[in-house]
Amino acid sequence: MAKHRIFGYCAPWSVKPGDAMRFMVSGEGVDMARATLVRLIHGDEDPKGPGFVEEEVPGAVPELLHVRRQFTQKGSFAEVPGLETRDVAGGSFTVAAFIYPTAPGKRRQTMLGRWDIYGSQGWALGITPEGHLDFWVGNGAEVDQVTAEVPLIARTWYFVAASFDAATGTARLLQLGKVGRYNGHLGPVVPYDYDSVVSASLRVAPKPALAEVPFLWAGASDWNDMRGRFVGTLYNGKIDRAGLWNRAMAETDLRAMGADGVFDPAGAVALWDTTAGYTDRGIGDTIVDTGPHGLHAHGVNRPVRGMTGWNWQGRDDCYRLNPGQYGGVHFHDDALTDCRWEPTLEWTVPAGLRSGVYALRLTTDGAEDHVPFFVRAARPKAPIAVLMSTFTYLAYANEHLAYEAPIAQAITAHTPILTRRDVDFVKLNEFGLSTYDHHSDGAGCCYSSYLRPILNIRPKYRSSAMGFPWALPADLSLIWWLERQGLDYEILTDHDLHAEGAAALEPYRVVINCTHPEYYSEAMMDGTEDYLTRGGRVIYAGGNGYYWVSALRPGAPEVMEVRKLDTGRRAWQAAPGEGYLASTGEKSGLWRARGRAPQKIVGIGFTSEGMDRSTYFERMPDSFHKRVAWMFDGIGDHERIGDFGLGLNGAAGIEIDRYDLALGTPPHTLLLMTADGFSDNYPLVSEEITYAFPGRGGTQDPQVRADATYFTTANHGACLAIGSIAWSMALPVNGGDNNAGRFLRNVLDAFTRSGPLPGSEWKGEEKLWR
Amino acid sequence: MTEPIAPVFHKVGNRRHEVVLSPDGASEWRRARVPGLRRHWLKWRGGYNPKTLERERRLADKRPLWWVLGLGALVVAVPFLPNSLVQVAAIFCIFAAINVVWTLIIGAAGILSLATMAVVGLAAYGAAAANVYLGVPWPLMFVVGAGIGLVVGGLLALPSTRIDGLYYALLTIGVAEICRVSISQIRALAPQNSSINNVGSFIPQDWYLQRPGLLLGFASAVGLLLAALLLFRLVNSERLGLLLQSAREDEEFSEAIGIDYKRARLHVFLISSAALGFIGAYYAIFYRSISLNVFSLDQLLLMFAMVVIGGLGRAEGAVIGTAIVVVIDRALIDLGPLRIILIAAVMIAVTLTTHRGLADVRAQFRAWRHRIRSERRATRTRKGGEVMPEEATEIADKQAIAYRRFDKRLRDRLKSLITPALIEEHRNAPLGPHSDDLARVLNYFRRGEMPDKYAILQDGPPHAWTYSVMALSGEPGKPPRVVDDKTYATRDEAYHAVFLLRVNDLLES
Repeated sequence: MAKHRIFGYCAPWSVKPGDAMRFMVSGEGVDMARATLVRLIHGDEDPKGPGFVEEEVPGAVPELLHVRRQFTQKGSFAEVPGLETRDVAGGSFTVAAFIYPTAPGKRRQTMLGRWDIYGSQGWALGITPEGHLDFWVGNGAEVDQVTAEVPLIARTWYFVAASFDAATGTARLLQLGKVGRYNGHLGPVVPYDYDSVVSASLRVAPKPALAEVPFLWAGASDWNDMRGRFVGTLYNGKIDRAGLWNRAMAETDLRAMGADGVFDPAGAVALWDTTAGYTDRGIGDTIVDTGPHGLHAHGVNRPVRGMTGWNWQGRDDCYRLNPGQYGGVHFHDDALTDCRWEPTLEWTVPAGLRSGVYALRLTTDGAEDHVPFFVRAARPKAPIAVLMSTFTYLAYANEHLAYEAPIAQAITAHTPILTRRDVDFVKLNEFGLSTYDHHSDGAGCCYSSYLRPILNIRPKYRSSAMGFPWALPADLSLIWWLERQGLDYEILTDHDLHAEGAAALEPYRVVINCTHPEYYSEAMMDGTEDYLTRGGRVIYAGGNGYYWVSALRPGAPEVMEVRKLDTGRRAWQAAPGEGYLASTGEKSGLWRARGRAPQKIVGIGFTSEGMDRSTYFERMPDSFHKRVAWMFDGIGDHERIGDFGLGLNGAAGIEIDRYDLALGTPPHTLLLMTADGFSDNYPLVSEEITYAFPGRGGTQDPQVRADATYFTTANHGACLAIGSIAWSMALPVNGGDNNAGRFLRNVLDAFTRSGPLPGSEWKGEEKLWR
Repeated sequence: MTEPIAPVFHKVGNRRHEVVLSPDGASEWRRARVPGLRRHWLKWRGGYNPKTLERERRLADKRPLWWVLGLGALVVAVPFLPNSLVQVAAIFCIFAAINVVWTLIIGAAGILSLATMAVVGLAAYGAAAANVYLGVPWPLMFVVGAGIGLVVGGLLALPSTRIDGLYYALLTIGVAEICRVSISQIRALAPQNSSINNVGSFIPQDWYLQRPGLLLGFASAVGLLLAALLLFRLVNSERLGLLLQSAREDEEFSEAIGIDYKRARLHVFLISSAALGFIGAYYAIFYRSISLNVFSLDQLLLMFAMVVIGGLGRAEGAVIGTAIVVVIDRALIDLGPLRIILIAAVMIAVTLTTHRGLADVRAQFRAWRHRIRSERRATRTRKGGEVMPEEATEIADKQAIAYRRFDKRLRDRLKSLITPALIEEHRNAPLGPHSDDLARVLNYFRRGEMPDKYAILQDGPPHAWTYSVMALSGEPGKPPRVVDDKTYATRDEAYHAVFLLRVNDLLES
């Protein structure tokens, strides 16, 4: 019996009543699915809390949806529309490129050509399963090839070219190593002879592939009864400038091009200059053809642009400084930024639908999926805005840490807890990677998109690496608590803050973050700062926030980019010279490394993380100052605050932040609460480590602690920061009646009132006798 | 704990005995191809010497080299041999040619036919008769022979599709005997003892059995053998052979993907039979006569000995086997009947000691060496122990060797930390806080490599979650596997179960 499966995604993620949305659904083994619109209120099924809570919105969507299996094209490649009418296969031709294969061998890879795998027709330049450069041609029945003599060395630049002389039937393959002092994995001391020139008379004359077969970079067209046309034999590695000519070039000419990288325009069909079209503000998906026909290549699944090229000299560390040395376009066989499914449901968000976290619930016999999205207020009315960390959701989307990262268990101090759904997810392996994963060639994954089912950004989901909810399902604890408290709130997302800046926040008296606002764009940093400066009130109730410099390409909110760089707790490390975002031209890495430590905005910043146990906050002396003592109304002087929770049984833990004047905490900040006593599974973060020495763990290092701070800004603004991911996850315990909730309620009650804040009058010098 | 005996390190290293080329990457390599085919003349493999990274070009398939050396030596040596041995060399070539073609039938087509000599004999008689009685000139005898071979092959092929293996083999032995008896009944031939003599030949009458004639005969026999080898190559390694290869691996699968292997088999059988007919005509021309001996069971069994000794299915096997048997049978003629016993002894020795005849001896030797190596390593290296110099030659990433040594020493230290009290400490608080000793042990476990690392499966509804232990694959797309059928009621019990499994793994290593 076929196994039932149902998956969906939607776009856009953040909508207002009246906005149009698309839901893309794929069903396996089913042709109908029941659809229900639900408002998500609580996600974690932990018996200590309220369990999973959703509220159905009857009649909002069609009850039954016709679904079918939709296929996902994995792998990044580039298509050249228009080249099929100018294919060179009928006569003599030459193709040349600079390449940097990152995983030659194991299976066939195609780099450049118009090749039909299914019909064995056309021609292509690629790599054999044994790792040798290969030029092959086919006439629909038979295939012939010329193969280079020596295997390609991984992560090394080569100039490669293949020419075919139709008059003599001779094909020549040229491979020249381009090993510089900086540009590759190995240096000039390694005595490899990288070069190879091989010629042979072909027994098969190439026949142009069918019109439906596109010219591709980094793949070849295949066909299958179920899927139709798709791209196979995907290439892993970089391609720098490439060209195609309708004449067979002499070996000396090819060598000359390989030496200086200047491509001969005579007889050129296409001269792709991968460095053309770069701007100070980023690079798009179009690889520009500077030849006579303008046959531009269009990247699919975001080939990574602006990477170091064959001629990188190491002096300039960004494509903005020296585009000519940054021609590398990196392709991955497992990249995925858009499933490109057909819409199953086109829907308009009903007028009057209250702001909240919603999901389209899809059920079939034996399968269920929630496709979450976020509804903002059409016209903001509530005093409170909850800022959902949609950037963070993207960063962690479909992460494979528990299954593929050997150090994950050492970091989390946990044996992973999997569910049947996780086991299925590993088996399925179809919906791409997170920014915590590596591509199959070992490079870090820098793009993550919501145009694909994201199985861990679902209610009920618990991170398998850690055994408790992470991101959206954890953030719903705050939503449940706000509902329970009867507070009037509306939803915003990182995407709204990114698009509108402070204007998105300004209608609200107070904006509260969720558990983990880790990924921030410059616009989000600016917006938050501006809001605070103009008198806004921010409750930063989370851990490890405002950490990674991330960005969206203008006009493409679906795909977030980050480059993990040089310092910080990082899943990977960008290659030298590849630390700038292709989306915007900014340097990525930590905000702290760019002069904007989170302490400068909210008073605290990342200091440690651990997933063995959480602990509780204790009041610090500053909490007894009348400026803030009102926050602790109803809470004892010695009370353990948050000695419970769905995040490892405490309100302080998982990822924690600390106050530090040296990092820009505003000088008038009060330290309200601190949690310490963490285990050595909470090590001090690596950006703090200049000299490593023993004892930087929670049992010995005073910097390993979670702080809660408060400072005021101009115009009655203020920022309360509680540096712990586990904080919000403690709120639902005991039906929401607990001291963490009490504290937060005290602050929210004050923050939602306009005018001077309570305690603001206590600004005189303490003339103390005690 | 007893101190382990320090391992003995043996020096490793070898001179390079194989001849390799060191081409220059700057110069163009023109790959010559066999006319009309996509094939290159020689199969080269280019790469880098792992010790020096020098560029190397070596023959990936050295068989052409051995053929040239072997047959070349024969051709060079024969002019210096006495007449009797020249005769033996020529006979070797003829029988080798027959056996090579026969190998096509048995090996490539997979038809166990023993009617080889029947086809050769019938064609020889037919061609000789055409020459002697019908006055057909000797060059046309080849056409007659090949034609008879084709017809006889076609008749023999009919039952081959209906009966299998051994029965077909017995049937074909019968065919040979029927031919012998039938020809012996031809009255016209009775006066000359059923043989046909004075067949026309390319060897002039007065050179017959003289040195120039012998040498000419040898030269033609070499030509015959080369032609047989070429045929073998064309049939076995081109389209027909590749089709049949897939059929030999899995008949039903190849049929399912549209390979008509029965038809391909028939084609090979017919081609081979025609070739045997051609050889039959040559046989009559070479000897200038043909007699009933060609059908004798003795002769058939000798040929059978040749292919068994050499190994079925491969041309080199057919030629090596023929060489051995012909040398014993014809060159050691002074030994008398003892020769047959000697051949039988060689045959028995070969079948007892080799898996697939002498042609396969090299692969068998390598497998044997590999087995000995594995056994020796197993005795030298204790499980999870250090890397020996001979193993190090096979590990490209030398850091892995350092890791293994470090890991072994770390494990030895950690083993001493495992006490009932430590296990009890973990049972009481799987997630801590932990003593330094337990933290060290746990951190070691958590840092382990991904394949087979333990994980916990949570199953059932939220208020009745149960837990069991799984092991991760560490490979994308490969799900974790179930470790055992135990289930645990709480997460802490599952954490502890994983801990106990890991302690067990540690102590066992």
